[in-house]
Parts: sequence; structure tokens; C-alpha cells
Amino acid sequence: MALPLEIPPRARSVMSTSKASPMYNLRSSIASTGSTTSLTSLFAGTGASLPRDIVDDIKSVIHHAFVPHIAVHVSDDVDEVVREKGLPDFYQLIRPYGEKVQGRITARDSQGSSVPFEDFAVRFVRLSDVAQKPERKGNTSGNSFRNGEYGGTNAGIPEAINSEELPLADELLDLHLSHAEELIDTNLATETESHTGQAYYLLYLRKILSGFPVTPHETWAHPVACLIAISSRNTTPIDTLRQLYKSGSEVNVPGYINKEYLRYYVLVHDEDKDDIVKSAALFEQMKRHFGLHCHLIRLRSAMCIVSDEDSVPVAKSQWLPASEELAELHAHQEEDIENDTSSRFIHGSDEAAIKTMVREMVAQSVIPFMERNIASWNDQILSRRKGIGGRVLSFSRRFLGSTGTRTSSNSATASNFDAATNSYDPMTPEAQMRKLADWSFMLRDWKLAYDVYNTIRTDFNNDKAWLHVAGAQEMTLISLLLTGQPITPKIRADTIDVYLDAACYSYVTRFRAIYAALRCLLVTVELLRLAGGSSAELAAKWAIKALDLNIRPTVGRALISQRVGDCYAVRQGAGSGGWGGRRRKAAMWHVLAAETWIRLGKFAQARHCIDVAMPKYVNTEFVLIRRFVDQMRLDSGYVNLLDLKIDTGVGEAGGEIVEVENGDGEEVQEDDDGEVEKPTLDGKRRSILIPQTPNGDAPGVMTMDDADGPL
Amino acid sequence: MAGSSTSYYFVIIGTKDNPLYEAEFGSFKQGGDGIPKFREEQRHMNQFIAHSSLDCIEDQQWASKEMYLKTVDKFNNTWVSCFLTGGNIKFLLVHDTRSDEPIRQFFADVYDLYCKTLMNPFYEVNMAIRSQTFDQKIKAAAKKYL
Repeated sequence: MALPLEIPPRARSVMSTSKASPMYNLRSSIASTGSTTSLTSLFAGTGASLPRDIVDDIKSVIHHAFVPHIAVHVSDDVDEVVREKGLPDFYQLIRPYGEKVQGRITARDSQGSSVPFEDFAVRFVRLSDVAQKPERKGNTSGNSFRNGEYGGTNAGIPEAINSEELPLADELLDLHLSHAEELIDTNLATETESHTGQAYYLLYLRKILSGFPVTPHETWAHPVACLIAISSRNTTPIDTLRQLYKSGSEVNVPGYINKEYLRYYVLVHDEDKDDIVKSAALFEQMKRHFGLHCHLIRLRSAMCIVSDEDSVPVAKSQWLPASEELAELHAHQEEDIENDTSSRFIHGSDEAAIKTMVREMVAQSVIPFMERNIASWNDQILSRRKGIGGRVLSFSRRFLGSTGTRTSSNSATASNFDAATNSYDPMTPEAQMRKLADWSFMLRDWKLAYDVYNTIRTDFNNDKAWLHVAGAQEMTLISLLLTGQPITPKIRADTIDVYLDAACYSYVTRFRAIYAALRCLLVTVELLRLAGGSSAELAAKWAIKALDLNIRPTVGRALISQRVGDCYAVRQGAGSGGWGGRRRKAAMWHVLAAETWIRLGKFAQARHCIDVAMPKYVNTEFVLIRRFVDQMRLDSGYVNLLDLKIDTGVGEAGGEIVEVENGDGEEVQEDDDGEVEKPTLDGKRRSILIPQTPNGDAPGVMTMDDADGPL
Repeated sequence: MAGSSTSYYFVIIGTKDNPLYEAEFGSFKQGGDGIPKFREEQRHMNQFIAHSSLDCIEDQQWASKEMYLKTVDKFNNTWVSCFLTGGNIKFLLVHDTRSDEPIRQFFADVYDLYCKTLMNPFYEVNMAIRSQTFDQKIKAAAKKYL
């Protein structure tokens, strides 16, 4: 097969090594996103209503994105135990197990009824990561970040809201796709199986949602709890725990993070070297000192190899931020396959112990802690705000606030909002309400979350805390869509359109927070798409807006264009004619996506898009459309299966096909030699466009016969 | 069409999504010379845009009594205006500035011309219109109104 294939040299080198390594398992990371990936293309093409499990896939990505973050803060001796096992540190060891908490977790909602979750998840983060990032970026932002433009009100905004993950997510997807191309090219994977756009789009979405930056306007990345661990090797266990507690509190956490999170104490018992009786005694002592939020975990410190009896591979984290996954891939490129540390194993007993620990911590400590806080904030702050007194209070505050702005430039005196750091103090009612909303969202009490977001939005608005307003608008929409209440045209026009527009304006124009805007748009688009019908059209409209955020032709852009097509495809028409459907629009956007894919050298993706779009254009009499699509088919090395069948039926034409393919390959190869594909492509395309007919007639149907020329 | 004067792409689309007649012309207003200034990559996009706007037209055609549906669709900075004949033939104009009234007048003239073409015993519905006269008259109407 001489299918044209273009892989950037860097990607190629990474791939060539990583293909052999068991660690780079593309299939596994894709498989988890789409249980019926092969069906996806089918349904995207015909625009049938979405199958149930795809709905579940998308919802679960969104559910798993907004989960409680648990900071990890351990003593050196714990990391030492884990290092003896051959893993970098304790955090790396437990992280994958937070992504799927074993068994069923129940949480009570605001009505007091318990709701079971089968797939509850938490995200482990390093405490140091929470602390340092905003500080470091804050320094750079203070100097370079458009200081004067808004009269200094934005000076304190950490640039963290502009996550660095965005270009990295593009790069990562690029690698994944190049790898897929290679597999297809070498017939290791069939096209239909691995190149459905949905799987990659979900991967992209997951990567975007996996690295929430620590920001003042939302509390997703603020720790809900902190896991403090020591090991049985420690000679002064209780003192070390106190020390860790203290250093954990003193860590340079940004001021807007509430430090009153739950502390969970873990004693790591070294099964191979230490005495369990001693550890048990120590554990009892810990319980006496620190209360009930303690856990004893028994790990073996011996290295585990494949041949061991109960060895299990270390779980792979599905929610690695793009930066980490990239770093991992690049590290692999340099490693030899022999001393490959990637295929790490741990004892089955260790895995069970970690799962139990995570489950116990979440079910018995974290969730009750969150429930308690939600209930108390709900009682103390929300009800007061909503009651008569609260209205009067907020009114008088607004009144004072507005007079304040008139008399002095510093309006912050009247409100709790600190304009210098663009944040609220964690103890102010506003900050606590946002936290209440976020936490009830994490426990999937969408209705309560929606109510609270709705309430605080006006508060933030009065304080002119635009970033907070945008955040609340974003979450109001997302929680509204998740409540599953029917979306009437009125809601679409008055709520969704208005809030999305305002939130995007704030994010993009006021704060240049492209990441936040993109996240907001993509999540809403997905949820709207799931709602189907006219909402799907709205989804397409906002997905197009998302395209405007990113002008460069990157993988992300191509994926989003393809998604626009998918959104339109969801909208079905009525009756046999499909009246009111959006089939033509879907086809157009798939063609546009294919164009971007070709430009990026991802021909398998392009072929997939063309496949989806083709039925609409196969007999079109629009000459230029036909030319364009045919040219794209050439460029992407598309082989029409029907042509193939007819030709082999004739018998002797078989050889011809190979010739044609070779021809295609060479043609595109020439393109690849040029450093930038775009001009050559355009040049080529221009050369085959029909010229104006000599008598000055418009090009049109009369030149139909020429359409078959270039083929 | 950043920086250049307005250009129009006009197409008559039959009942089977087939184009019957296509023309591109520029604006004569504001000192325009009537020559279309579409960039090469815009020309096939015009057809894509026109074709995809049929989806929206099918939505809107039952909601309005008028034959002139005004602006029916938008793609980036390009609008699509539509005029629907009784026989479900669509006149589409892809344009980059909004001006409802001149376009309505233009469509009215085109409708006249189209009806005359229909009266030709050798012409059947959904046949491509190749008449030179028709082309010239369309261009004249464009010059008059656009």
C-alpha cells in the first residue's frame, strides 16, 4: 500500500520507538472513552439519535472532570518505601486509583435522599502543585500582563487561568493521531476501527478538562481534603505527622484557597520489613491523636516483577494532563526498550489495599465532610441570602457600593471583593457560596448547584467581579443542562445564548483566558448536543464560536470543525424527506474538517470525514464543490470502495488501481517534500479549477463534463 | 473579502438541490466595477454555503407567507438571502453586507426573468438555464440594484 502519509519527523521518531513499548498503548486510552467507537461514525453519518452508551460516555467525561481534588502531602520515608517498589513516589502510585473509586458511593443531596454513584472519582494532586503554580505565574503576569489596560484592576490575576495545557493537548493529539495513521498504514489497525472522530474528540476533551488550573474564580482545583502520610519506618511518627500538618498549612497556598480542608492521615505499613503489631499500636495512637480520619495501609516494599504470582500492572491514569503525558512519551523515546521502566507491576495485594484506602477515605471521610459543609453553608449563608434580610442586606450593600464608586475610585471598600488580587477572601459569604455550589456540583446535586450559581451570579455582578461572573455563568449553564430539564426555546434564547455570550466575552476580551472560554464552550456544546433537536443546532453554533478562539490550523481546530458537523448531524429531520434536518450543513462541516486534516497531514481522519460527507455530494451538480471534494479525495488517498469493486469485477483493472494509488502517493509525496503543505495544495487546487468560460458566462452547469477531467 | 468591495454569488437551485444557473458579480455601488473579487478559496466555499443553507430554507419556508425569505443563513461573515418561487425553486444570493431592500428588488426582477424562461416551450423545470440573454439580463438587474 502506498498510501501517502506525512508525519512530522519529531512525531515519527517518537512513534517508532513507542510502538514497540507496551506502555504506549493507544488502544487502551481510546477504548475507555468510547465503548462503541465503531458505531459512532455510523451514527454520526446518518444522524440517528445518539445511542445510549455514547451519551453515557460523554456524560461520564463531564462527570469525571469536575471531581473533588485531594492534595497529597507525604513524608520522605513514604516515598522511599514506594521507590523501593520501583515507582517514583506515593502520589504516582495512588493517583490512578482515584479515577475510579471501587464500588458504589452514596451521597445525600440537599433534599436528604441518598443518591448512589457507581463511578465516583477523585483527583489526587500534589500539595506543592496547588501551591506553587499560581505564585510563579503570578510573578510573570504582574510584569507583562497588560497591566495598564484595565486600570490595574486585573493586575493581580494569575495567568493560571490561561492554562498552558491547550497547545500541549494539541500536540499530544497530534502524536496519537500520527500513531494511528501509522497503524492504519501498516495494516495493524483497520480504518473503521481506530479512526472514528468521536474517540479522538473525547480524548481531546478529556485532556482539556484534565488539568484545571488553580484560579480564584472557581474552586475545582482547590483541595477538598489533604492526605497526609507517614510510613512505619518513621522513628518519630506523631511528630512527623504534626510537622506535615504544619508544613502543609504553611505551604505558600494562594490566599483565596480555603485552608480548612479535611486532613486525612495515613500510615503506610511496610509489610516486608516491619512488624504489623508495632504498626497497629502506632495506628491506635494516631487515632487517639488525630481522630477518626485515619487509615492504615499495608504495602509491600519488595519490587514486583511480571513473573511474580500475584503481579498486576500499575493502572494507567486516564486523566493525565497533556503536559505529563507528553513528557512521558518523550521520555520513552530516549529510553531503551530493555530497561523499560514503563511496564511496572505491583502486587495484587497492594492494589487491593490502595483501592480499599481510597474507597474508605472517599466514602467515610471526604463525602461526609462535604455533605456536612454543604448543609451548613446552605443553612447559614444561602438561606440567609435568599431570605428577606438577605435581600435588604444585598440591596443596601449595592446601594453603598454604587455610591462608593461614585465618590472614590476604590469601590472595594463596600464589597468583599478584593480587586487587587481579583478574588474573594475564602471566609466571605461570596467565596463560600461559590464553594457550596462547586461542592454540590461535585456530588452531582445539579439542582442545588444551579440555584446557588444563579444566586451568586448577581452578587458577583454587583461587585463587578467579572471573572467570577463568567465562571458562575458558565456553571449555571452546565448545571442547568445537567439537571435534564427540557430545554425550551425560551431557555435557549434567554439563558443559554445570553450567558454563553457574556461568559465568552468576559473570558476572552477581558481576561484573554482562552482556555477557560474553550472549556466553557466545549462542555456546553457537548451537553447541548446530547439534548438533540434544536439544541444540537445551537451546539453547532457555539462550536463554531469555539473555532474562532483558535485561528491556527491545529489538531484541536480540526477536531472541533468535525464536531460542528457531528452536532448538525444529530439534528434529524421529520418525515421521509428529512425536513428540518441539517444534513447538508453537517456534510459541509465534515468537508471543511477534512480540508484541515489534509493540511495537517492526517489523511486517515480526512478520509473518515470525506466518508461521512460523501453521500451528500456524490451526485452534486455544483461544479466547484465536486472539484473540491474530488481533489480532497485525491489528496487524502481516498479509495472509493465502490470503484474498487467494479474494477476488480472487470478483472484486469486490478493493476490499474495500484497504479492510480501509486500515482496518488507520488503526488502527495511531492507535497510532503515542500515544507509547508498549504501553498502547494492551494496551488494545485487552483490549477484545476475551471477558468471562466471564454464568452464570459459564469462557470456553471454548462461545464459539467469537465468535472470528471482531473480524475 | 477583507478590504475589497462587496461581491455577490447568485445561484438558482432546483428542486433536487441542483444548480440551474450560477453567476458571480461585484457591487456597482460605491464606485464598484461589477467584477467579483472572490478569492480562489472563497469560490467553492460560496457553493458550499449556498448548498448548506438549503437546510435552513427548508426550515423557514413553511413559516413565512412571503416568497422573499430575507436572510436565511450566516456563515462567518457571509450571509445568504433567499427567494422561494411557487415551484420550490430557490434563488440564493451569497453576500457579505446586509441590505434587504435592494436584494428584494433584485430578486423580483430575477423572478420575472425566470417566469419568462419557464414559458419557453423547450424549457422544463429543473433544467439548467443556458440562455445568453437570461445571463445578460441578470447581470443588468444586478447592476441596477446591487
